[in-house]
Amino acid sequence: MAKFTGVWATFAYLDETTETIEEVRQKGVQPTVLSPCPRHEIDHALGEPQSIVPWIALAFGALGTFIGFSLPAWTASDWVLPVSGKPILAIPPFAVIGFELTILMAAFHTLAGIALLAVIDTLRNPMPSSVKKYVRFQRDRFGVVVPCEETRIEEFTQIMKKNGAEEVHAERN
Amino acid sequence: MHAAALNQYDPEAGRVVIDEHLGHPGIEATTLDYGQINDDMLAMLEKPHPSYFLLLLGFLTALGLGVLSLAIQVDVGIGYSGISHPIMWGFYITNFVFWVGIGHAGTLISAVFYLTRAPWRTAIYRAAEAMTVFAVMTAGLFPLLHTGRPWLAYWLIPYPNERLLWVNFKSPLLWDVFAVSTYMTVSIMFFMLGLIPDMAILRDEAMRRGQKLKALIYAPMALAWRGTNHQWVHYMRGYLIFAALATPLVFSVHSIVSWDFAMSSVPGWHTTIFAPYFVAGAIFSGLAMVMTVLIPVRVVFGLEQYISTHVVNSVCKVIIFTSVVVGYAYATEFFIAWYSGSPYERAIFYFRPFGEMTSWTLTGDHKITFPQIAFWLMVFCNVIAPIPLWRNKVRHNLVAVWIICGLINVGMWFERFNIVGSSLQHEYIPASWGEYWPTIVEVGITIGSFGFFFTLFSLFAKNLPPMAIMELKEAANPPLKNPPKEH
Repeated sequence: MAKFTGVWATFAYLDETTETIEEVRQKGVQPTVLSPCPRHEIDHALGEPQSIVPWIALAFGALGTFIGFSLPAWTASDWVLPVSGKPILAIPPFAVIGFELTILMAAFHTLAGIALLAVIDTLRNPMPSSVKKYVRFQRDRFGVVVPCEETRIEEFTQIMKKNGAEEVHAERN
Repeated sequence: MHAAALNQYDPEAGRVVIDEHLGHPGIEATTLDYGQINDDMLAMLEKPHPSYFLLLLGFLTALGLGVLSLAIQVDVGIGYSGISHPIMWGFYITNFVFWVGIGHAGTLISAVFYLTRAPWRTAIYRAAEAMTVFAVMTAGLFPLLHTGRPWLAYWLIPYPNERLLWVNFKSPLLWDVFAVSTYMTVSIMFFMLGLIPDMAILRDEAMRRGQKLKALIYAPMALAWRGTNHQWVHYMRGYLIFAALATPLVFSVHSIVSWDFAMSSVPGWHTTIFAPYFVAGAIFSGLAMVMTVLIPVRVVFGLEQYISTHVVNSVCKVIIFTSVVVGYAYATEFFIAWYSGSPYERAIFYFRPFGEMTSWTLTGDHKITFPQIAFWLMVFCNVIAPIPLWRNKVRHNLVAVWIICGLINVGMWFERFNIVGSSLQHEYIPASWGEYWPTIVEVGITIGSFGFFFTLFSLFAKNLPPMAIMELKEAANPPLKNPPKEH
């Protein structure tokens, strides 16, 4: 279990959560936020974080297009099957395979990319085990986790309480 | 913005102005709080009523009949079916095309309507997506069976082998292998992706309620989901990409299925209208099946707040639209057959409504024949039966909608049979015209396919959340301590 020093709090209301996020960010710390569903308000408060998933989809989609055209072309050259003088390397029928493999490769790696990036970001932003034991983040509560030095715990605790946090927990590991 | 203008038609904007803090018009669930949504959805997964098991038994019986028929078919060989020259594609390919079509609604609702921001999709997309997965799984069985030796189906996959042979990438049948398997894979992945946050909800709710065994079962399916902003940002961006990737698939799959027919030179098949015609038909039948399945689900689980009349109304409008497209396609086929001047095309479109194959006679007096019944059922169920849906009053009558959607399902099956059977029956040389009568195993396998589909759907409805809990929350009013004053 990764060591964590900082503060985490639960909130019942979205607006209180976003106010806390903005205030914590003004103090120079990027918090981790937990929510029952994605909300644009949280993204705005966090400074519009971006994902590289679309680039993964684009890269593997392009690879799928390449395989989708080159595989039929190579097999057609390897086992020549002349039919009525039609071209051996025919682009229109290969476009179907190219299209399908583009979608397949892009979709598969999008899923893999989401899973991998979520794991990487979770490892980069460790949370105390007490957060994981709090089971209402998937139900109806918002959470703000602030990693900080021990000397700043009080400062962030006060910010959370001021903004209406239901519970505030300080962790020192 | 003035409060009165919210969620109402704004003539200046030319659209209904939706305020996310007030929910969407016509969907009451958007006024529920997050906890209430969790509780309502979890209530659906509680111990079922005995009638559920009775229903499941019925579906399992149909499935059992199908498995028995399948065993006989595989053991004896494809000769045991009624398919023979010239009608080499009978019930099996009809079922394949029908079930692939049914599988179109899920991805249409989950991907296309996601991109077009149709708020009414939220309550029904999970069930429609599950339906897609099960329908495509059902469809996939038929080409395998139709090969005659399904245990050699892996020959369809291009892999290096000792015979130094490759598959023929120029064949539409191989395009179909790629199209259907890609569609099935992407549909399953899309379905799984949507389930991840909901499985985390089930895991945590089970923990909250002290149901440790349930929590242990749900935990691996939640893939350590915590709902952090790091997870959401990749998830939501990836979901959008998935929707964008799945959208062309919806239109391509049935286009490619249609090319199985249209690429041949068989009269009645060789036509450029087939791709849009098949896609419209697929969306039409898929949405009808969604309503056939979800109206009973709404009644049984009391989900009026979620699957509201507004949602049913919206689906019905898409059904009306696709019905008109399908009806137009039927008319175009006849017009083009006449306009082409080809006697073979003209003949096939004479045979379809006024077929003369006496051996298919059902009444014994040689007046009404099976192709005629297939054709007229198709026209009645797909073009005439949906006409009452134009009336707002009918769209708000669940019994009427359910009956009409049931008729559409029947009509679409007969449309597929009409295309497959009647065209092969009359090719160019009258001497090679033939006939087809399905054997008991084909009927058994067809019934079994419905049993397979409905068994899987029934198991899904009681074991996984049939609605996307996370998306329902996203569509709902967020909890605000200080709501904006003008609201």
